[in-house]
Amino acid sequence: MGRSLMKYSGIRAVLFVTAVLTLLQCAAIIGAAYWLAETISALFAGEPLAEQLDGMLLFLLAFAMRHVMSMLQQKAAHRFASDTGASMRRELMEKLFQLGPRFSSVKGTGNLVTLALEGVTMFRNYLELIIPRMVGTAIVPALVLGYVYWLDVRSGVILTLTLPILIVFMILIGLAARKQMEAQWESYRSLSNHFVDSLRGLETLKFLGQSRAHGSMIARVSEKYRSATMRTLRVAFLSSFALDFFTMLSVASVAVNLGLRLVNGEIMLFPALTVLILAPEYFLPVRMVGADYHATLNGKEAGEAIQAIIDEPVAAEVHSPVTAAGREDPLAAKTEADGLTGTDDPTTGRANEPIGAGAPTTVKANEPIRTDATTTMKANNPIRTDDPSAAIAPFSPTALHQAGELQLTLSSVSVQHDPEGPLSLEGVSLHIQGPAAIGIIGASGAGKSTLIDVLGGFQAASAGTISWNGKPVSLAHDSWRRSITYIPQQPYLFSRSLADNIRFYTPEASSQAVREAAAAAGLSELADELPHGFDEMIGGGGRPLSGGQAQRVALARAFLGERPVIMLDEPTAHLDIETEYELKEQMLPLFQGKLVFLATHRLHWMPDMDHIIVLQHGKVAETGTHEQLLERQGVYYDMITAAQQEGWH
Amino acid sequence: MKREAWLRPYITGNYWRFAIIIGLGAITLLSAGALMFTSGALISKSALRPENILMVYVPIVGVRTFGITRAVFHYVERLTGHNVILRILSAMRVRLYRILEPQALFLSSRFRTGDILGILADDVEQLQNVYLRTIFPAAAALVIYAGLIITLGAFDWTFALLAALYMGLLLVVLPGISLLLTHRKHREVKQERNRLYQKLTDAVLGMADWSLSGRHAEFVASYEADEAAVGRKDAALRSWARWRALIGQAIVGLAVVSTIYWTGGQYEQQLLSAPMIAAFVLAVFPIMDVFLPVSEAIERIPQYRSSYERLHEMAAKDEGNGHNHPMMMHESSVAALSHEMKEAEQNAPIVFNTVSHRYIDNDGQWTVRELTLDIPQGHRLAVIGRSGAGKSTLLKLLQGALSPIEGTVTIDGVSAAAFGEGIPRIVSVLNQSPHLFDTSIAHNIRLGRRDATDEEIRRVAKAVKLDEMIESLPLGYDTPMHEAGRRFSGGERQRVALARILLQDTPVVVLDEPTVGLDPVTERELLSTIFQAIEGKTLIWVTHHLIGAEYMDEIVFMDKGRITMQGSHAELIAHHPHYQRLYRLDRPAVGIREKTAAAL
Repeated sequence: MGRSLMKYSGIRAVLFVTAVLTLLQCAAIIGAAYWLAETISALFAGEPLAEQLDGMLLFLLAFAMRHVMSMLQQKAAHRFASDTGASMRRELMEKLFQLGPRFSSVKGTGNLVTLALEGVTMFRNYLELIIPRMVGTAIVPALVLGYVYWLDVRSGVILTLTLPILIVFMILIGLAARKQMEAQWESYRSLSNHFVDSLRGLETLKFLGQSRAHGSMIARVSEKYRSATMRTLRVAFLSSFALDFFTMLSVASVAVNLGLRLVNGEIMLFPALTVLILAPEYFLPVRMVGADYHATLNGKEAGEAIQAIIDEPVAAEVHSPVTAAGREDPLAAKTEADGLTGTDDPTTGRANEPIGAGAPTTVKANEPIRTDATTTMKANNPIRTDDPSAAIAPFSPTALHQAGELQLTLSSVSVQHDPEGPLSLEGVSLHIQGPAAIGIIGASGAGKSTLIDVLGGFQAASAGTISWNGKPVSLAHDSWRRSITYIPQQPYLFSRSLADNIRFYTPEASSQAVREAAAAAGLSELADELPHGFDEMIGGGGRPLSGGQAQRVALARAFLGERPVIMLDEPTAHLDIETEYELKEQMLPLFQGKLVFLATHRLHWMPDMDHIIVLQHGKVAETGTHEQLLERQGVYYDMITAAQQEGWH
Repeated sequence: MKREAWLRPYITGNYWRFAIIIGLGAITLLSAGALMFTSGALISKSALRPENILMVYVPIVGVRTFGITRAVFHYVERLTGHNVILRILSAMRVRLYRILEPQALFLSSRFRTGDILGILADDVEQLQNVYLRTIFPAAAALVIYAGLIITLGAFDWTFALLAALYMGLLLVVLPGISLLLTHRKHREVKQERNRLYQKLTDAVLGMADWSLSGRHAEFVASYEADEAAVGRKDAALRSWARWRALIGQAIVGLAVVSTIYWTGGQYEQQLLSAPMIAAFVLAVFPIMDVFLPVSEAIERIPQYRSSYERLHEMAAKDEGNGHNHPMMMHESSVAALSHEMKEAEQNAPIVFNTVSHRYIDNDGQWTVRELTLDIPQGHRLAVIGRSGAGKSTLLKLLQGALSPIEGTVTIDGVSAAAFGEGIPRIVSVLNQSPHLFDTSIAHNIRLGRRDATDEEIRRVAKAVKLDEMIESLPLGYDTPMHEAGRRFSGGERQRVALARILLQDTPVVVLDEPTVGLDPVTERELLSTIFQAIEGKTLIWVTHHLIGAEYMDEIVFMDKGRITMQGSHAELIAHHPHYQRLYRLDRPAVGIREKTAAAL
């Protein structure tokens, strides 16, 4: 298990320190045994107690030194483990933010949070245990055994022979236990899961009229679980039995063997006593490894799970040709500039917004956009591809805001979440010019959310290019993200006050501005009803809000942030129809003068959109305005008429 | 009395088993000491070179015996201990279940956040460590302590007192100091870790917001600062643990030297034989090892605390509320109602007569106010309203889980609450997330009626249009749900639950937003199946939009506990402009037709 450890920084230093401390400790162990045996045999020989004070003092000193060394070992290991654990956690956090929300929802939030908290702690404990254990098992038994050989060869032979037997038995029993576990894993899993499954299904049982009777079922299944567990434990505990048994037997054999040779006068009392005192020390490191086996195993696995996430490739850097052209990308150039000057201010993010002065000059002449494959969508104005200022306009939210005219081009963009899986988006080519409200519609699984993720920079395209005003860009960049307001189906509410939730995107916003945004989003009534008004804690740790209220908080954030691009992913489908109606009325004004992408299966939004993209099986089926699409009598027309059909019998 | 509700009953109930475990534990620990004692005695006795080997026969047998007993007893002790603990665990689980069961319908509203049920299940598991890691080792150490002092007292009372002091330092003083020094820090670390947990959940669930707002670096910095603060406290605890171990070992060292001094003195006075010097001195190490882990065992106590308190709180609440549940109140009268029950199982007209209800802790606000509804057998009623409008209170009143404060709710002329536990024979419920249990598909369906035949299960599976899908699975109806669950879509899961309800075969079916989260096509198909399958039953459908509204006999809009609009689809569309606007949301083409008509 040591090999994977060697890659952590500082491991060599801590191993060296531990090795030195262990050598000193080993000397102390032998010293303590020596002086103790000497004192006892002197007393035995009838020497007066008063003359033994030196021996006793030396024993005490050696004994104390042994344990001081052990303490220092632990301290060194602890420091190394907490540093390594902390840097691993930092890497994990950075990685999670790089991978984005999609990855978290696939892996499960609970899992990731537990991994970052408990997992890192377990891994830290593992490091803390494994380092002294590794060094200890390598050094202590060998040196102790060497000294025993020097004192008495036969005892040395007994000890030498037992250790391999002990280890072989432990491994054999461990394997047998694991085999047995695996054999009944499925039934074991469902038995151990039964209770929590029952509690979670309590409401359902109640509805079915089975809840009362189920109580005795719990007792029965628990009983089964007990006997299944006991069967496993009977084997599992054998490994520690073997450890105990062979250690004790070996010590006993050494003792009896020494005793018999003492009777025959083949050996003196002093070496015999020393060997007897050292015999348990010889086994101690192995026994400690056995005792900590499970703790170390869990920690090791947690460490591997964390490492797997850290090693997860960030899709944008691997697959996307966008970054292949990255060196010509003003955004990438900016990132480098930031890296060099280090002026990035993380708290406000302001420093990121203006583009480094040199950056635009590195941009080469525009690559021609393949307009043949591009489905062109006109806003109210015709597209202007020859605008020279647009070609080198810095890519920043302020610029976006003022430009008023935004051109985003997707050229045969495809997305494949899983290397073997189907394409979620296939060859999507779009030319988008804003400000405009763009509806994205399609059946579930048609790729609506994936398209929103691509546009929002949460998902890199597996193939194809995305250009901004004619230049290929990566949308996963901060400056693009900071021009977006994102309203998902279920906006997340942080465990903070209502006001802080509203000003999440603009922490500097005044209370007055927060109030106005809340009023625009229809939250004033709620704020009046709350005991602490806008200072009421909401989210996980506070007062729970309904889905409609949460959506209004997201809306208020959008009003307050005034960002030029708004992305909505199914914002109202789960709400009751009256709330949906009101929210729609409040959302529509927000869309004025902005570039809006709204993905939904709720058709009623579409007449209010300037353009509609109809997705089907990951491809763009058709685009146009509501009226144009109805006239075409294509996919969109079919969807409308299907919803229109009075019934389903 | 209540404070001990989750620990003491299990100790008194298993008195003898506990005594055996602790006895075995003591023997195990003592065996190690006895091995070193007899070994020491054997060697020194042999060094006296007795004439006959039989002179050292007794210590030889002792050494061999103790060499084996330790391992054997340790093994037996662990097995017995776990066996007893698993029995206790089983009893605790049943107990927790019985506490939670009567409140089943209120759990989700009482604990809105997090997976409280999962946490409670973990808590029960946590409590087993109280026995295995704290009570048993500490009690075994105590037994050895008493035994040794009495034995030593037989040799020399002064030395016995000294030994009592040394061992007492390890058994009582050091653990006491340790607990005193650390318990507050342990609690702080735990609280701060809970905060970190919350913070991290905020980060992961709100990740899109952190990155879009450009504040993620800020978050990472503040999180790292918090982690570092916890790390410092944790390091302080670890540091104390290292010091404690060192102090403990220092006491061991002093005990060894004292023993040498004492045995040496005794030997000089001819009170002890020479071999006893080595025997006593060598035994000190394993004996003191018995007491060293006690500090750690005691230090764990604060860790159990929150688990214990959560469970305790549940039990206390149960005692507080128990009598308010109408279901429990009317339990005895259910038998008397058997005739009415039979009637209602066939024909269950429901009447809400000016019903009002409010919860005690809701600032006096009515959740349902003066509600009157007449729902004859076979009626189809849709209930629409935003969250908090009183829909779920309405359902609980119907199920008799709540009794109205004013007015009456009757089923076939009998108060709904009077049916008590019998209500599932009259009303079945399909809600947003019916639980599918971790057994086979067949078992899950059979929960609707335990005595259903395989034939009946196939029939209901066919009725919900799952038969082909299930039969295509390699194990068919015996496919474990946890495997099938991954393959099953949201719509299919609802169909399994619907099959259960068809087996339950009640005159009244409640649909509590069963299609939330499904896409429109799946929703349409599922609703179509539902309406076909429950033809002729009374249908009370809580819904959030108007798909299918035309097929209802009556639509009721609720707001703040009152009915705001009521009537059939035809009536509402004719007379209520608000309804027309809402209806258009679900039928956008209606608007188009109007527009086109206007254009023409």
